[in-house]
Parts: sequence; C-alpha cells; structure tokens
Amino acid sequence: MGLGMLASRVIRPTASKLSRSSSLHFIRPIVSTPETSSAQSQPQPDPTPDPPPPSPRPPVAGARVHFPNPEDAIEVFVDGYSVKVPKGMTVLQACEIAGVDIPRFCYHSRLSIAGNCRMCLVEVEKTPKPVASCAMPALPGMKIKTDTPLAKKAREGVMEFLLMNHPLDCPICDQGGECDLQDQSMAFGSDRGRFTEVKRAVVDKNLGPLVKTVMTRCIQCTRCVRFATEVAGVQDLGMLGRGSGEEIGTYVEKLMTSELSGNVIDICPVGALTSKPYAFKARNWELKGTESIDVTDAVGSNIRIDSRGPEVLRILPRLNEDINEEWISDKTRFCYDGLKRQRLNDPMIRGADGRFKTVSWRDALAVVAEVVLQVKPEEIVGIAGQLSDAESMMALKDFLNRMGSNNVWCEGNGPNPDADLRSGYIMNSGIAGLEKADVFLLVGTQPRVEAAMVNARIRKAVRANQAKVGYIGPATDLNYDHQHLGTGPKTLIELAEGRHPFCSALANAKNPAIIVGAGLFEREDKDAIFSVVETIAKNAKVVRPDWNGFNVLLLKAAQAAALDLGLVPESANSIESAKFVYLMGADDVNMEKVPSDAFVVYQGHHGDQSVYRANIILPAAAFSEKEGIYENTEGCSQQTLPAVPTVGDARDDWKIIRALSEVAGVRLPYDSLGAIRARIRTVAPNLLNMDERELATFSASLKPDCSHKMSLTDFRPAIDNFYMTDSITRASKIMAQCSATLLKK
Amino acid sequence: MASTVVKYVLQSIKEKGLRSFYRELKDEGFVKCLSDGNLLQTKIHNLKGNLVGIDKFGNKYYENRNLQSGRHRWVEYAEKSRYNASQVPAEWHGWLHLLMLKPKRYGLEHKENFSGEGEELIYHSKGHALNKGQRDWTRYQPWEPTKP
Repeated sequence: MGLGMLASRVIRPTASKLSRSSSLHFIRPIVSTPETSSAQSQPQPDPTPDPPPPSPRPPVAGARVHFPNPEDAIEVFVDGYSVKVPKGMTVLQACEIAGVDIPRFCYHSRLSIAGNCRMCLVEVEKTPKPVASCAMPALPGMKIKTDTPLAKKAREGVMEFLLMNHPLDCPICDQGGECDLQDQSMAFGSDRGRFTEVKRAVVDKNLGPLVKTVMTRCIQCTRCVRFATEVAGVQDLGMLGRGSGEEIGTYVEKLMTSELSGNVIDICPVGALTSKPYAFKARNWELKGTESIDVTDAVGSNIRIDSRGPEVLRILPRLNEDINEEWISDKTRFCYDGLKRQRLNDPMIRGADGRFKTVSWRDALAVVAEVVLQVKPEEIVGIAGQLSDAESMMALKDFLNRMGSNNVWCEGNGPNPDADLRSGYIMNSGIAGLEKADVFLLVGTQPRVEAAMVNARIRKAVRANQAKVGYIGPATDLNYDHQHLGTGPKTLIELAEGRHPFCSALANAKNPAIIVGAGLFEREDKDAIFSVVETIAKNAKVVRPDWNGFNVLLLKAAQAAALDLGLVPESANSIESAKFVYLMGADDVNMEKVPSDAFVVYQGHHGDQSVYRANIILPAAAFSEKEGIYENTEGCSQQTLPAVPTVGDARDDWKIIRALSEVAGVRLPYDSLGAIRARIRTVAPNLLNMDERELATFSASLKPDCSHKMSLTDFRPAIDNFYMTDSITRASKIMAQCSATLLKK
Repeated sequence: MASTVVKYVLQSIKEKGLRSFYRELKDEGFVKCLSDGNLLQTKIHNLKGNLVGIDKFGNKYYENRNLQSGRHRWVEYAEKSRYNASQVPAEWHGWLHLLMLKPKRYGLEHKENFSGEGEELIYHSKGHALNKGQRDWTRYQPWEPTKP
C-alpha cells in the first residue's frame, strides 16, 4: 500500500469531521481532486428542517420514471438532492434519474445484473464500505453520495485493477475512440498505475465470420455471456477459470450460431469483441452517421449507416423501444458489403446478339417507351420488388394505370393479395405489444429466420411471463420452449374445432397472440387458412377492444406499403400472357412463367436473378442511397435517408418512372419528393405519419366468409437461408460466408 | 611493393588487353579515385581490411579489427559516382553500426532514398497526382453481363 493511499485513509474520517477548510491542502492524498467534492457536499450533511431540493440535473439519457403504483414511490437522496423512484429500483438507476451518471462496465439496462466489475461503487451513508450501486436496491431515505473522496478513490482503485491486465493496445484497437474503458479511465481513473509485473495473455477464440475476438483485452464484464443466454437464447458463451485465469469462451471450439450475434460487438465495453468485416477499416471519428431504416426484413429496424465518402463502412442499431430496442439482426448489420458488389451502374440494352450494351438514359427510356406503347394495355405487367419504397411503388402504379393496365403487385404478396382490410396483413398488437402476450400461436411462421427482432420479443415474453408458445409448421429450431403442435392445416382445423389440447391454453390466456406467417400468402388456399385462423381467434377471444392479438408477420420490407397503396393485380395469372413486364427490383419472380416473347424491363440496383432475363436494364438507387418511406410489419411507416451517393449513372426509382412516363407521353404530375408524397397522402395517408404506428380501423371479422376449400398440404418454410433473402444480401460476401459456415448442419 | 603492383598491372594487361583492363579499373572505381578523395581513402583503407561480405546491390563490406574501434568496419559502395548511406540495406546497416555480429535478414525490400533525385523517384502518398499506382477510385464493383 502506497504512502499516499495510507495517508488518505487516515485523513478521510478526520477530514469529514473538520469543516473542510483549505488548511488540509498541504497533505495531498492519491485521490486526484479531493477539493471538488467539498463545494458540492456543503448542502448535504447537516439535517436541516427544510426538505432537500429536487435534483437540478436532467435524468441521464432522458431516463423516465414510470410508477406502476403510486404508493410504491420511495424517496432517496443523491448527492443531497431528493429524488423519487419506484420501489425495487437499484441505486444506480436512482442516480441516473437524479442525473448522475455512474461509471459502469458490467451493468446493462437490458441484461440481468452481474455486479462483477465493481466500477459503479458509490458511498451510502451508514454503510462501512462503498457499495456496488448496480446490484444494491434503493431503500427509502437512503443517502447516496457519488462524488465523495471515498467513492472516487474506490473507482480509481477498481480502474487500476482493470487496467492491470488490459493491454496498451488502443492505437491498434478497433474500439479506440468509442471504448468505455478508454473514456472511463480518462474520467474516473487515476493518473498513474503501480503495476510493474507481466500482463496476462489469453488465446483468441473463433466465434465465426462476424465477431472478431481479442480476448486479452477482455475485462470479464460478462455482458456478452448474459446477452447470449438471455436475449439471443443460445448457450454458446460462458466463463472459464478463476482469478487471473478467468476467460470468456465457448467451452469447446464452437462458432456462435445466433442470428443476433453481432450485438455482442455493441455491448462489449472494450475491444475484446469487435466486428470482423470492419476490422482496421476506419476510425469512428472519420465516419458520417445517417439515421436510416433497415430493409432486409419486414421489421424495419432502426439503424445508423456509418459511411466514409462513397462507402458504407458499417451499420449500427439505433434505439427504438417499439421496434428493435437496441439490437439488430446479423443480416441487417453485415449486409452492407453487398451494397458494393454486383451493382448496376449504367442503363443497358440487350442487343440482337443477346449481349448487353451500355446506352444513354435517353436511348434506354426511348426504347422502353416505344415498346410499352405498342403492346395492349392488359398485356402490361408491373412487379415491385421486396426492397421498393412507397414512393416508387406509387409511381409505378400510377404509370401503369395511365398506360391502361392494373396488373401491378409486389412480390411476396401472393397471386391474389387481400388489401381490403388492413388488419388482415399487419401485426395488430405491435412488436412491443407482443411482450404483453402470454400465449402465442405461430401459424406457418418461423420468426427466428423471418424476423429475428420479433423473435427476440417473443423470447422476451417467454422469459418474462412464462408465455406458452404453440407452433404449427415444419420442424424448426426456435430458441425458446415451444410445443410443436403440427405441421399443417390439419392441426389448424383441430384447433378451430376445439379438439386440440392447446385450445385450453389459448382459451385460458389473458392476452393470446396468433402470428400468421406471410409465407402462407403464396398458397392457393390462403383465404381458407385465414378464415380458419380467424375462427380460432374468435374462439380464443384474441381480438378484444383492449387487446388485438391477431398478427400477420410479413417477410419483405415493401409488402405492407404495397398493400396500403393497393398494389393488387387485376388477375392472378396476368404474367403468363404478358408482353411487357416491368420489374422494379423484383428478383424472386418466377421468370419461367414469363412468355419468351415478352419484353422485360429490369429496374434495380443489383445484378441478381432477374437481370439475366431482362431486355433492358435501368440502374436505380439502393436503400442506403435514397430517401424513401418503408412501412414495417406492424404498420409503422419510417423513412430511409441517403447516406452515400448513388453509384455510376443510377437514379432514384421514382425519378426513373417519372422520366419514363414523360417519354411515353403520359406525364405523371409530380416532380419532387414532396409532390409524390402529396399523391401518397391521397391514397394512404398513414404512410406519411412517420414513426407512428397506424392501427387498423376495422377488424378482420368484417371479412366475408370464405367458401374456398383448404388443401391439407403441410406448411413450407418461407425462408431457406436466413442470411440471403434479397438482392443486397445475395451479393454480400459476408452473408455468403455466414451461410457457408453457420448454417452448416 | 611498388614493383609487385607494376608487375601485377603488366600481367593483367597482357592477359586481358589494354581496353578491358581500363574498363575494369573504371568499374572498380580506381579511375574515379583520382578526383574523389573519399573513394581513394576507402581504396587505401581496403588494402588493410578483410572483405566480410557483399550485399545484393554489390556494396562491399570490410573489417579490420586492429584498427581503432568505431573505424574498424566500413563499406565500399557499389555505386562509384553518387553514393550515399541510404544505399546500405537494413541488415548491413546493423552490422556496420555494430548492432550485430552478422547481418540478419530484414523483412522489407530495401529502397534507397531518392530525395532530391527527381520527382518521379520520390515517395508520393496514394491518391497523389504523381503516384502512378491507384488511379481508379471506384469503391463498388459493377455487375458484368457475363451470360449473353
């Protein structure tokens, strides 16, 4: 023990008894700034008759207090200021509400409390030792002091211990600049260390193609372990060894096979877990962040696209409590390298020899206009792709309507989509609302691969309120306890007729939720299936005035907006007789059905599957390059913002259609994004209410009875490969690596 | 000694002819010695030294342990007209400066310092107008219509 430390020990009690005059300044303990606390601790110690004032500081990060029961409020004092918190909150949370940010490493508000980093030590009056505030419940009348010499010295000591075995890697560490340990050692650490021995080293683990590990940097906060077990639902990570031999590992050599594994990069407070594709690419202060929306699935996770110049360098989650909390799926996070590969950058025409030739926009549009004016209106077909934004779908529908055709739809919505009742295709209870449900019935949907963030919510409900999950569909691996009720419509009929044992669980549930997969849209008998599901919903009282548990889980980002805008084909098999097919980024269309003499226009950003059949290619902007409205599966419309410039000669989707309409002589009446949004307002005004969930007005019970016969073929999985579902992810190298290594059985 | 030298010279002229003997003298730097005192001094020094090694550029390294410490290792540059210390590669630099007993292999290819020798020879960062390297800064890879 150093002399200074000993001195500060001896001096501290006397110092608090003395009235902190500046006469003590000639003795300098190791605690860096003992003087600063004296000014702030003036109002606290002596019990004065008038009550302490409420904290003048705003809560940390806008933390809000919610009192479920007003009697449960207790009053604690943080640094002399009174603050009211609900019973059961920890000291750290009380400090946050009082506006004091306590340093922490292991504590994370969405994970369980571990209390092993000891960084959050604070002084509580009448306790002999500093207490770990993250694990200590706040008690009525507790006097918490966060700024005393004792608390400061405790933090400095903890920091010194943490830095003992931490390598001095910062210049070559990817976390540098956004590292909690860096920041907190600057703010709370001592200005010197006394460690002279040899630092330990730990063997790096291989967690797969996404997460890079430098385990020597690990400070054993166990956030990643808790994230993996609690949120991701995989038991892959754990703690091995004791003392300085303690390390995070996978017990046996094993990859982390979770679809949320990328989030451990964000929660790791140091550079032990970093992004493998982003390794050594950039520093965080060089990046421009653009707040945008993810389009790789129908959840519409809020993301921040970090770019430098014309390149997207990484994608990070943005906090949105209603949709993705603060996690995103691996597909969202790592699909960005697909934005740089296989891009269409010039308009191209297929010549007589069958080869593509680069042409100017003027020539390309003239050719398309010439062909479209020659075919009969009913032979024109337009298909919007799964990544289309609402503006371009509106323009496509308007253009085709002006050409006299109404055969326009969005891929994934099936041959005869039902856009009449909005409650029939959105998630009525909302993604956040799923937390309240206590019984789930999953019909033909595998949320783990179709919408990983929705799956995380279901898992949260299963963990928090022991919700029961019944699943109908092909055998699958859901990462929570579930009953596999059956594989097809037969089980559905049993449930509707009340013959199945799961019916009692549904009937006794307080908030039952039924989730129907959008993969069923492709089935011929979808109307019959939906009417059976509605019978089940009616029997179990799933739709009530205070609770609507009838949900459809969509698969593609464009689906909900397409149905809102009324992209419904006039006839189901118009594609077989088409002479002119306009594909707006549609790559999952069965091109075999298109007649060989049809003229196919492909407008899109990636050379994926449909370009090989196209006669003409019009390059368009990807979601990271344009401003566009997307509606997610719960009916919440959000917009992307351009993070990087478009590549080559590409243009925004709606601008291409607008230009084409002028060349074809049917000029669309909008020239700007504002004007096209005004047009959308007349069709689907809910799309303009950004970041607000528009509830469906009428329930599905208004639907006429269905007379179709239900076939008894089993449900099929809607997505084979979680990592490759659209043109961007199919072009991505990282996603290809993932599907090669992580999906291997 | 002088007679040995004269005898050796005459014998060499007889064997190789006058022209090739003169060329050899020139290549070895003996002609340059007449105008370059440093080189002449090195040549005289060499008579007392042991040749330790020759690097891949042709620089010759000599040693004489009987000389004053610090002057007992020296180099005769392969380049006779414009020689400078940056022509010594890293491994022999270490040997010359008494960092090691034997020259050790070094990872990077040695390049001499061309500062002041012309714009085209000196280092320019990537993206500099005079850097001949990367010219295409396209950050994406376009789709190639391979299949007809």
